[in-house]
Amino acid sequence: MLSRLLPLLLTFASLSLGFRAHGTELPSPASVWFEGRFFQHILHWTPIPNQSEDTYYQVALKKYGSTVWKDAHSCREAQALSCDLTEFTLDLYYNGYGYWARVRAVDNSQHSNWTLTETRFTLDEVILTVGSVTLEASNGWILGTIHPPRPKIVPAGQEYKQIFKNFRAYKVSIRKISEQKNLTKTVHQENFRLTVPRGMREFCIKVKPFVESRSNRGEWSEEQCLRLTEQYFTGTHLSIFFIFVLLLCGVLTCLALHCYIRRHSGKLPAVLVFEKPHNFFLADPPFPEISDAIHILDLEAFPKVSPELRDSALHGSTDSGFGSGKPSLQTEDSQLLLPGSQPQIQGTLGNEEPQELPDHCGDNTDSGICLQEPNLHSSMGPTWKQQFGYTHQGQDDSDISLVQNSPGQPTNTQDGSALGHVCLLEPRIPEEKKQVMVTFQGYQKQTRWKEETADPPEHLDKESPLTDAFDPKLGVCLQDDLAWPPPALAKGYMKQESHGMTSAPSGTTSRQWDQLAEGWSLLDDVSCEDLSVASWTFAHQLAPLDCGAAPGGLLSGLDANLATLPLISSLRVEE
Amino acid sequence: MKAQCASHWLLGVALFLCSVHTHSLRRCLISVDMHSIGKSFQEMKRGLQTKDTFQNVTILSTLENLESIKPVDVCCVTNSLLTFYRDRVFKDHQEMSPEVLRRISSIANSFLYMQKTLERCMHRRCHCSQEATNATRIIHDNYNQLEVSSAALKSLGELDIFLAWLDKNHQETPARNLTLNASSD
Repeated sequence: MLSRLLPLLLTFASLSLGFRAHGTELPSPASVWFEGRFFQHILHWTPIPNQSEDTYYQVALKKYGSTVWKDAHSCREAQALSCDLTEFTLDLYYNGYGYWARVRAVDNSQHSNWTLTETRFTLDEVILTVGSVTLEASNGWILGTIHPPRPKIVPAGQEYKQIFKNFRAYKVSIRKISEQKNLTKTVHQENFRLTVPRGMREFCIKVKPFVESRSNRGEWSEEQCLRLTEQYFTGTHLSIFFIFVLLLCGVLTCLALHCYIRRHSGKLPAVLVFEKPHNFFLADPPFPEISDAIHILDLEAFPKVSPELRDSALHGSTDSGFGSGKPSLQTEDSQLLLPGSQPQIQGTLGNEEPQELPDHCGDNTDSGICLQEPNLHSSMGPTWKQQFGYTHQGQDDSDISLVQNSPGQPTNTQDGSALGHVCLLEPRIPEEKKQVMVTFQGYQKQTRWKEETADPPEHLDKESPLTDAFDPKLGVCLQDDLAWPPPALAKGYMKQESHGMTSAPSGTTSRQWDQLAEGWSLLDDVSCEDLSVASWTFAHQLAPLDCGAAPGGLLSGLDANLATLPLISSLRVEE
Repeated sequence: MKAQCASHWLLGVALFLCSVHTHSLRRCLISVDMHSIGKSFQEMKRGLQTKDTFQNVTILSTLENLESIKPVDVCCVTNSLLTFYRDRVFKDHQEMSPEVLRRISSIANSFLYMQKTLERCMHRRCHCSQEATNATRIIHDNYNQLEVSSAALKSLGELDIFLAWLDKNHQETPARNLTLNASSD
């Protein structure tokens, strides 16, 4: 009986032992995978459960397309869970087929099944990394140099830049130290330069490589932090400072030179140094009464000046104009007389006799013009003035006062001169022309004065009656229909002439007769023309003057053209 | 005499230029984004290669098959492989996953465009030598040894090998376009 059961028992025992051996096979690793970087191909696996201290793992490798597995004996380390298979896969970057790897656990005499990698390990699975990054911050710039990985095991001709020739790129991440938010920029060169973002003084930078033509994953480098220090004495600052200093020195030099020049050039030559500084504001004006004599005239206060009066008075003036105590009476309505001059005017209306008039004209300044009645001889220049009640009250140059005489003015007394009266403006002269006519008279006088200034001064007391007669006629006689614009300058100009004319010598009678003849001819044709000033042209004809002509041939023969002065017309043209 | 020498010289230069032009490598630019094709493959690579149970067999490469292709035969082999994938691999593979199927479709369209451009560009100038023909025949034989679905699956799993070979034997422009090199006899 026992002999029959013993084989069964032995069979059961062997079977149980066998089952136990198989049941206690080591479990295989759950997963095996490659984690490869540039020439750093690491195979990883998961440990088996309940491994012992003697458990180790067996690794095998096979190139895709080959049938032979190669064991990696260097990976048999106890309890090791990874193994570097770079030396077994050096041709990975040229062999496009890849490698399969498998791992099994071994414990004593037991070993597990093999666990295979899920995919072939190829170049596409290599994680791109950088070896190191050199950073430098200066002048607001970040200068970086990326160094590719260079493991020692890299064979010749298989460096990073040679394997990945084209389309290498790097992502640079800049992060403020105190923040988590970062700024990423892409550079395509190993040497890059970036601007420091505003507001960043302390920041950290990391770099991740990638290849634009490949799908390889990249890995960030270790973060490096920098701190910017404010450099006050940079090259730019120093250059700006020196330029500023140079400019400042230049400006100071210019100012010093300018002051020096002004100091030395301010000295006038001795001949130009006046003894007394002339203070225009303090010194009395030559004719203070004129500049200060601003009178608001009341028209009603002054009686209407009769035409006789208008035609009878001529006022002298200073250099630039008619200066007279009597205002210019241009119209019947606008008869404004200076308060000071009014009595003088009235006083002289009925004065038929020449009186010694105060030579106010002599008191005039250089450009003073004194217009006097034409019926007064030049020798009676002052008297002539007096007859018309001319009183020069020291009016300034710009003051023009011209009194018109009515025709038939009894004051026109002449000493045998046909022109011994002053032919003054007619009342019928339009109002708008009165002013003009006054101006015209004065202008005429000036011309005459120029002609006679060439005579020696000893003849000043003598005047040709013809000249005197002629001049006033020319100067005074104006046509009715004249429409002269009343320039103030012309008035003054004429006054000067009259002044000069009063001092004409008497010894030039013949000459004056010649001039008169010329003037007569001109007057006949067009207008009164200045014989001395040839440049003056006249285009207007004067209306026949209603002159109170004394019995005399010349004066009576004068028609309106005589009074047409070319001067006035030229002035009118200019205006 | 001098004129004769000059004329001979000019003729020689002209002949030289013509020969260079005739025998020069003809470059055919194919505007295909190789990067996108590779990225699509990487996304479906795990699903394809994991299912490949025949680890000891390859289709595209025996050990030195594609490695031994000469530059002269690159044009022929390129055209042959593109035709292989268009006519056999993409048609034989039955993919159930929509994502994988979309990626396979994009790759297939890119291969189709590359092949047509290559045929139009080369136009009778892409001659196949005996070696190129043998290499192509081996590939077809390997494909035929396996079951169709397994063969197609394995061929799809070996797309990275084909793309790497294309990148190695053809120039890539900065725009990541493929410039195929083809030489004529």
